[in-house]
Amino acid sequence: MFGSLDISTSGLVAQRTRLEVISANLANKDAILDAKGNYAPFRRRIAVFSQGDPATGKNQGVHVSRIDKDPAPFRKAYEPGHPYADAQGYVSYPNVEPAIETINAMEAMRAYEANITAAEATKSMLSSSLRLLA
Amino acid sequence: MINSFLDSGSMPVLERLVQFTSQRHKVLVNNIANLSTPYYKPTDLSPQDFQATLRRAIDQRRQSADRSLAPLQMQDTDELSFEQGRTVAKPRPSNDGLLYHDQNNRDLERTMQRLAENTLAHNAGIELIRSEFRTMEMAVRERI
Repeated sequence: MFGSLDISTSGLVAQRTRLEVISANLANKDAILDAKGNYAPFRRRIAVFSQGDPATGKNQGVHVSRIDKDPAPFRKAYEPGHPYADAQGYVSYPNVEPAIETINAMEAMRAYEANITAAEATKSMLSSSLRLLA
Repeated sequence: MINSFLDSGSMPVLERLVQFTSQRHKVLVNNIANLSTPYYKPTDLSPQDFQATLRRAIDQRRQSADRSLAPLQMQDTDELSFEQGRTVAKPRPSNDGLLYHDQNNRDLERTMQRLAENTLAHNAGIELIRSEFRTMEMAVRERI
């Protein structure tokens, strides 16, 4: 039974990681320079889930296996006076779409809540089992 | 004397029920953890199959010579193998429902419903075991 709590917790960790990735995407939605100040528009990150939980070594549960970069093209804006504009006068902005990120964030939150509910059910089952001893 | 109380009557039946609900709970919790995992197929254990096996085992026990004192002989199914003191589950992936674009045929509402039902069944089983123990305690203390 304690294994069920491990599984729910792995789901919570994975969904929270996904939410952190989404937050980072939204925070960087206009970042066109990298940490060193070079021109490199931020690429949207995607958390990829896989079955199994390396923390417990079991094939039940879930974990974030990779955080990939979205290969979709950058958003182009026509700003000829911009210091980072290309020869045609376009500036590349990160390929982050706030609406999509918001929807993904909502889904991650709901999935997180589903895992919480499952953990509550586990706890109620465990406590009723443990009451047998008292 | 104590052994015949624990290994006969409704006690082995309730024990199997609680073992099954524990295993099924694990399977359902795993489905919820993998709600957004691409290529994941939700799995489940059929409570109908389990109950049919349990019913057959109880009928068989009733027809034996010493009635409900005989041990409960559970027949293994495709999903469950009933070992001494534990139940091992081999849940099978289902292909029911809508297949989403990430190749996952999740069904959150049904999963939550099953989780709630399973939790209730588990708690009911445990409550019945408790009342069995209370009965035994009353007999031991010789009072009502």
